[in-house]
Amino acid sequence: MADLRVNVCGVPFKNPVIAASGTFGFGKEFNEIYDISVLGGISTKGLTLEPRLGNPMPRIAEGYGVILNAVGLQNPGVEEFVREDLPFLRGKDAVVIANVAGRTIDDYAGICARLDGLVDMIELNISCPNVKCGGMAFGIRPESVKEVTRAAKSALKKTPLIVKLSPNVESIAANALAAQEGGADCLSLINTLTGMVIDIERRRPLIANNTGGVSGAGIRPIAVRMVYEVCQAVSVPVIGMGGITCAEDALEFIIAGASAVQVGTANFTDTLAMPRIIAGLNDWLDRHGVPNIEELRGTLRLNG
Amino acid sequence: MKDLRVTVLSNAPIAAGVNQMTFSLPERVEGLRCGRFVNLSVGDGAHLLRRPIAICEYTDATVTICYQIKGAGTKLLSQKKAGDELTCVLPLGNGFVLREEERRVALVVGGVGVFPMISVLKEYAGTGRAFCSYIGFRNAASVCGEKAFRAESERVSLVTDDGSFGEKTNAVAAFFADFDKAKPDVILSCGPAPMLRALKAGLAERGVKVPCYVSLEERMGCGVGACLVCVCDLANGARARVCKDGPVFEIGEVTL
Repeated sequence: MADLRVNVCGVPFKNPVIAASGTFGFGKEFNEIYDISVLGGISTKGLTLEPRLGNPMPRIAEGYGVILNAVGLQNPGVEEFVREDLPFLRGKDAVVIANVAGRTIDDYAGICARLDGLVDMIELNISCPNVKCGGMAFGIRPESVKEVTRAAKSALKKTPLIVKLSPNVESIAANALAAQEGGADCLSLINTLTGMVIDIERRRPLIANNTGGVSGAGIRPIAVRMVYEVCQAVSVPVIGMGGITCAEDALEFIIAGASAVQVGTANFTDTLAMPRIIAGLNDWLDRHGVPNIEELRGTLRLNG
Repeated sequence: MKDLRVTVLSNAPIAAGVNQMTFSLPERVEGLRCGRFVNLSVGDGAHLLRRPIAICEYTDATVTICYQIKGAGTKLLSQKKAGDELTCVLPLGNGFVLREEERRVALVVGGVGVFPMISVLKEYAGTGRAFCSYIGFRNAASVCGEKAFRAESERVSLVTDDGSFGEKTNAVAAFFADFDKAKPDVILSCGPAPMLRALKAGLAERGVKVPCYVSLEERMGCGVGACLVCVCDLANGARARVCKDGPVFEIGEVTL
């Protein structure tokens, strides 16, 4: 048995596999299929101070090896989460990460203050491509990345802050640095890439929101490249994600420098994807005589 | 709810653009019921979303589904042969439930909506209920499932939009034309959204107080209630998950 434990800015994970925000709800549904305590962590559905209804239907479409979604942050609001869902998550043996979003800087600070000390980590969603204000609006320019990160960080006394970065930017490394300067304890990337699928018969986009966030196996090479670039640029730990479907995919991100990984779309294709990835990591490490997964982190050697 | 590797036993066309597939289950699955659905992988790695398909018939060891071949995913499904393996999450959703006092049951059905209704007929056959079935298809080539309705129904009206089979009308009009003879205690419906809207409007217009349950369809993500992709609008302004809170809703509860 290899040692899969990782430590991300002081938070111990029993393995580096985390459910990605928006694909796993608050864990209750997948827990009907397997005990979600096997996971390293769970990043919740994006939360806002007030409940949100999200975007009109349809909210999902498929491309080759990818999907597009535009749910638009539908969620019950932070108070219902604290009352109804957090006790369940706290009862599970996995790191609880609250993914949070807002319309204004004050919203971000407010929801961080509300959840401070109640969850293990907070993941600042400044990269949702599917809402008109807030979300990605804060995640495009380094100046606003730094500003919203600073506001969130100053609202937090106990809980470490992850900033989730958008790939739909000029330089993700520049934004990563801006988040670090704003006080981020950790970074996660990549959120979805903005895309469009057209119904040629109706000559309309398939998704009601017109554009959606592209995720799934097909985006993995882009995500690996961005995680590598960000790991080179910053000193805080990085959580990598984007198209991970198996243990070998996860290892690419870890070798590129990520401390842990998130798995999203693969949960749709295979509800047991994450338990399989955890078992697969153990098998791979054992087969390669690597006793500890942390030994692999950032071991990439470039050609030439 | 389980995620299982199932084995295709048969997969063949039963009407224009509609296939019937029976697959075997590797283990006994609790909770197979009428109106619930399965979420089936298409098994090629390029199509990442499973296809949610209503259960049509089931035994302890097998499930039969029928599906319209509409896009790339269902086309791939249609090419599966006996012996091929697919992964399948099942059973999903809430399903249809008839209360003991609901003895006369009207089924208002459009197109491939016949298949979840066949599961209702099979499950409640032999419970002494009287079924009155009003089924609409586009044309004669798309007619399917007729035998099951004829076998279990007291009254059957099978109609088409173009009159190429049965009367030239639609299921909702046929239902209301026969309403006084059907005298339903409950109405169950499954079909395209315009049909469900017409049914809702017709019930409101006539002041019909009989409970009516509809099965909704929506593009889904996870299929298990986690991702909030497949929601519908509720009359109270909230939203519900079609996959987990539905797909069956009381018609007054949802905005169609």
